[in-house]
Amino acid sequence: MENIFIGIASSLRGFFSGLGVPDLYNDIIMLVVKLVSILVFILVNALWLVYMERRVCAFMQSRLGPIHVGPKGLLQSFADIGKLLGKEIILPKGIDLVVFLLMPVLIFVPPLLIYAVIPFGKDMVAVDMNIGVFYLLAVASLSTILFWAAGWSSNNKYSLIGGMRSVAQMVSYELPLILALLGVIMLTGTLNINQIVNAQNGIWFILTQPIAFLIYFIAGVAETNRTPFCLVEGESEIIAGPYTEYSGMGFAMFFLAEYANVMIISAMCTVMFLGGWLAPFGLDFIPSWLWFFLKMYVMIFIFMWVRWTYPRIRVDQLMGFGWKVLVPLSLANIFVTGVGMYIYRAIGW
Amino acid sequence: MFGQGLIKGLQITWGRLLDKKHTVKYPYEKIEMFPRFHGRFELDVEKCIACGLCANACPNKVIEMEKEKVDKKQFLTKYVMRIEYCLFCGLCVESCNKDALKFTNVLDMNQYRRSWVRLSLVDRPAPEAAEEAPKEETPAKTVKVEAAAGQAPVKEG
Amino acid sequence: MKTQTYSLNLGPQHPSTHGVFRIILELDGETVVKATPVPGYLHRGIEKLAEARTYTQVIPYTDRMDYLAGMLMNWGYVQAVEKLMGIEVPERAEYIRVIVGELSRIASHMIATGAYGGDIGALTAFTYTFRDREYCIDLLEMVSGSRMTFSYFRVGGVADDLPGEFYPAARKFLADLPGMCDEYDGLITGNEIFQARTKHVGVITPEMGINYSLSGPTLRGSGVNYDLRKVRPYSVYDRLNFEVPLGKNGDCFDRFRIRIEEMRQCGKIIQQALDQIPEGSIQAKVPKVIKPPVGDAYAEVESSKGVYGCYLVSDGSPKPYRVHFRRPSFINLGYLAKLCEGWKIADVIAILGSIDIVLGEVDC
Repeated sequence: MENIFIGIASSLRGFFSGLGVPDLYNDIIMLVVKLVSILVFILVNALWLVYMERRVCAFMQSRLGPIHVGPKGLLQSFADIGKLLGKEIILPKGIDLVVFLLMPVLIFVPPLLIYAVIPFGKDMVAVDMNIGVFYLLAVASLSTILFWAAGWSSNNKYSLIGGMRSVAQMVSYELPLILALLGVIMLTGTLNINQIVNAQNGIWFILTQPIAFLIYFIAGVAETNRTPFCLVEGESEIIAGPYTEYSGMGFAMFFLAEYANVMIISAMCTVMFLGGWLAPFGLDFIPSWLWFFLKMYVMIFIFMWVRWTYPRIRVDQLMGFGWKVLVPLSLANIFVTGVGMYIYRAIGW
Repeated sequence: MFGQGLIKGLQITWGRLLDKKHTVKYPYEKIEMFPRFHGRFELDVEKCIACGLCANACPNKVIEMEKEKVDKKQFLTKYVMRIEYCLFCGLCVESCNKDALKFTNVLDMNQYRRSWVRLSLVDRPAPEAAEEAPKEETPAKTVKVEAAAGQAPVKEG
Repeated sequence: MKTQTYSLNLGPQHPSTHGVFRIILELDGETVVKATPVPGYLHRGIEKLAEARTYTQVIPYTDRMDYLAGMLMNWGYVQAVEKLMGIEVPERAEYIRVIVGELSRIASHMIATGAYGGDIGALTAFTYTFRDREYCIDLLEMVSGSRMTFSYFRVGGVADDLPGEFYPAARKFLADLPGMCDEYDGLITGNEIFQARTKHVGVITPEMGINYSLSGPTLRGSGVNYDLRKVRPYSVYDRLNFEVPLGKNGDCFDRFRIRIEEMRQCGKIIQQALDQIPEGSIQAKVPKVIKPPVGDAYAEVESSKGVYGCYLVSDGSPKPYRVHFRRPSFINLGYLAKLCEGWKIADVIAILGSIDIVLGEVDC
């Protein structure tokens, strides 16, 4: 069980070299296989998350949620996608056509790029990069531009406001997000995600860096535009923000990308603070990738739980909270971590 | 303390997550309507004396009736309710002295076409001669909505 | 650098204008410079329609004004007719009116509470209140046969007596009501984010509230103790013991909070009314054809949104010569334009939601 995916990968590689494929092509084929499997993984998970969100939300609201399509409503997301695929893509007057049509496609690129460096289990990472965290943060902020461009190209004031909000929000919450991760990076002294996971063998960083975890979590919620910080969509104020004019599959792509982003933030939480694929309490008879999923889904559930409990904050409060609370707090956390490390070394434990 | 309300909210939603659900799985199970429920109308033709009080009581002139005089008695030949204009206020049922017009518990009156919504409760010819016992004619067809679809009378607004 | 304002058309198709209300916002970034409310998209001419109908036939139309508290809308109208004709309503009918009226108020406030939660972004609150409202509406359906547009009141009484099954069901609902209110308080009122969003937002000073003729929770949120049920008790309210919840700051939070408090008080009122309700007739002696004498009458009740009044002019025929309704939602909206200035778009929604309008009533 533990090595099932690695086994598949190596047997595939063996199969191709058995056919006499040169090593270079073999590497390329393997990379494509990995990326396609990641794409499938994202899409299946996003569809599942749509269903899960609806179920969790319904249960929290004393409802049942989707129950009609398939057993327990499991096929509801597929039915929705089928419906959305069949819908006309409405092109409003005065839009920037190229940008308008390109954005729903491009919105899936940053999540796809990020998943390349996330270790789903022991030795299960598509690209093992030694600057993994840096790469991840750099790519994650790309989606800001896409949201903004989608809002800008729609020729709708609601979309424009949403796009502007998206830029403001993401830029201001990127900062505490990165600063919070800095504490972890200081402790481990590496940007390689695999090494960060391995460094948590003794104790998870959620225990040594609780404030960083909290800041990361809050900023992560803001990064994914989910409820206390869902100002970008803000459906009771600006209809649907940048997605207002999108219909059919265009809207669905944004929708699924949101879930892909939620998964990324949760996966990052797992990797950086919850020990990644490491098994707690020595329960390593459960395969490492299953542990990773378990932790990731616990984080996703908390995201949903928060979303369906809290109201939305206002745009000026959002900015104030980001710059006046989270940034100083994360800076203080870095300071305390640094001082702690010095004391730790001075005592020489 | 700051954050208390936030935690309380999470507690409430968590409690509801595990709690009993309040939904009725509608098409699979249906709830019993209350006896006074204002559902589809039902006309007991035997009791109806075609007095027209219901049609007069209606605020929206929903009820259209046609009657013929047979044997010194009013004979109801047509009773159509333009349900699309009905307010379901119950003034017609209340005005009926003979308890002929009643509400039932049937709540699904939806149709595919607006013109099909019209509810034709009585549509029958008047008995020809007085000698022929009208009793045999009276168990007339109380046409239900589905059947009324085709024969809905074309009426002005 | 030159900056300029732009106008944003909020509504009539907008998720949180509570219907088809429209506000033209002149915005500087996200800040409102000028707000112009445009009502009228749901105008059905109920006042004119009433002139072509007999006095009884107007009752179903009053339901359609504030369709969230239909019983109270009935009440104001029949009270005006009764005043015009000088009809004494039997005591049991008055108690039944109080019971169903207060139940209707609870249902209306539940929507106000939940919809406000939805406006601020807490959709779970919305479903909680709608879930509980169903139980409240069940009671009214048991009594009147309808769930929203009841048409239950008649000139001189009510249409039907309370059914036997109503009493235990109502008592059970009343027993659950404080728990429901606690849940809303825990989920929304106590939430720090919600408080940050609503406290000190859209402040109505008591003077301005009175000057703009506001009423209902919108006025009482500013601390003005004006509740018709206390100030000018109609029906049997003088025999019932209850408090009028008042706000302090006159901000959105106070207006929201006192609605939940009012629900608790409504529960108390219904409890007392159920205990005190006498046996007897439910309908006064009223002629079959209602033909009030020539003259006019004005009667008002405290509806869930404020003071709801009905002005009737009779020319002696079976149809009213002129009917006018003083709709509290509409009059409460008068101050909206001033109230929104200087706030953000999100606050416009918060302020509009805190006034708690029903478009059927605003446009009538």
